[in-house]
Amino acid sequence: MYGSHDIPIILRSEKLSLSIEMEGDVKHYSRECFGETVNKIIHTKSSRILINPVEPMSLPKELTPYLLIEFEKLVIIEAESSIKVYLTFPIEIGVFISGKKKFEIIDVLTLANQKFTLYGNPRDGIICKYWSSNVHASMPATEPMREGVIQLEIINTSTHLIEVTKAVFNAYAMKIYYTDDLVAMQAKMRVMAGEIAETDFINLPLKPSMRKSVELYTARKVQVLGTKFVMENGI
Amino acid sequence: MNYTDPNSILTGNTTTIIKIIEIIGILLFTIVIGKLATIRFRRFLKDKISKDHLETILKVIQYGIISTVIIFIIFPVLGIQTSNLLVFGGIAGIVIGFASQSIVSNLISGIFLMTERPIKVGDNVNIDGMPGTVEDINIMSTVIRNYDGLYIRIPNEKVFTNTITNYVANVARRFEYVVGIEYKCDADKAIMIIKDIIEANPFALKNPAPQVFVDSLGDNAVNIIVRIWAPSTDWYDVKMETLWIIKKTLGENGIDIAFPQRTIWFANELEFANKIKCVETDLNNLIGAECESL
Repeated sequence: MYGSHDIPIILRSEKLSLSIEMEGDVKHYSRECFGETVNKIIHTKSSRILINPVEPMSLPKELTPYLLIEFEKLVIIEAESSIKVYLTFPIEIGVFISGKKKFEIIDVLTLANQKFTLYGNPRDGIICKYWSSNVHASMPATEPMREGVIQLEIINTSTHLIEVTKAVFNAYAMKIYYTDDLVAMQAKMRVMAGEIAETDFINLPLKPSMRKSVELYTARKVQVLGTKFVMENGI
Repeated sequence: MNYTDPNSILTGNTTTIIKIIEIIGILLFTIVIGKLATIRFRRFLKDKISKDHLETILKVIQYGIISTVIIFIIFPVLGIQTSNLLVFGGIAGIVIGFASQSIVSNLISGIFLMTERPIKVGDNVNIDGMPGTVEDINIMSTVIRNYDGLYIRIPNEKVFTNTITNYVANVARRFEYVVGIEYKCDADKAIMIIKDIIEANPFALKNPAPQVFVDSLGDNAVNIIVRIWAPSTDWYDVKMETLWIIKKTLGENGIDIAFPQRTIWFANELEFANKIKCVETDLNNLIGAECESL
């Protein structure tokens, strides 16, 4: 389903159906996902749409730019060493009208569960999108329409053993790459002394054949000031 | 015949020119000092006060410095006796002070509100029992729009001296329900169902974790407390929709919400039961006789 498609188009899968039909100059967009139906009338000269995974931050409401992934297994790392693990992350699917080097978002949908959580305390903590993931030593099998894979390198720069239970990321920095059967990102988590960590994404595909997603923040031309996130309220 | 010494005229003119130059010099110096003071205050206050309010305060500081210099330095140079002005000003000050007590009080409170910032524009607050959304914070008053859409202007003195509850000052907040189920129902099952409902709501936060537990064995019901944390911006929506979902889902699973009721047990139950039986028989006979006569 991912990729660029000509209009008119009808795409159907087990949990999702999406169509754009022509009626004169007007295009009728229709989408059904988990019983929710969205109908829109689009007036555009463009005759192509792009469907690709986007940052999981728009649904059910754009409340926060942060994603917290809770590890189902504790990761223990000895002093001054690093480990590469694979986590899953939720996917939202962006539908764009594509023009000449220009993409305009028309719809965002998801098949993943939605949940928010608080990182830190209610006074000065932050609300994050929540996702629980198992920690894998090798690339796990995933449903590419529902979840993607993050290859996370955890670097322990401190002089003592650390226990990592979660990672918080800034969605402004997400660099998502995809193929039809895999959605993936690469990220880094540098743990410093005092249980403080810094997370950031790496703008490289996990496999050479992967295509880069058009991200929501790029499409909306939002100026991104910082891409890193400093985890000060526990790791 | 009047005779004027040309030297004295020249001296007088020179003195006047010197005075004018002196005044212009003092004024320019004061303007520079005022400008420097505003730059300094801007740096000091820029993180503490919003931009609009900061500009007002800086103008007050700048013109205050210039006015003070004019009254206390330039007026004496011009030969205007400020001591007279001080006496007049003192009396006028007392009169104006009494008359404008509340205005000054509101002004000072406004400045404190702007620096302390217990509320911001857009916050949902409750000031002195008046809940609403803050529309504007001015130097003299604060404007809130209550939840009925009414415009309420509150003098800053009242805002500052009363209890302010800011519902969105923290990023998350907790709310609570008490769900009373019937004694015959399974409380463990009810707790499990309620936890599933909370889990399904995206805005009911995963952490801090919700609490669902039997709190008390009441007169008419087993009371289950439900405590949910939600983002401050969305807690009321979560509160509104979740309770009815809990009620419906418990009902669908055979768990009924209890209502006040009283079970009465009679001391001599057998005798009472016989009497009831007799009354029932008499009633049946009576109804039978009535039917036959018809």
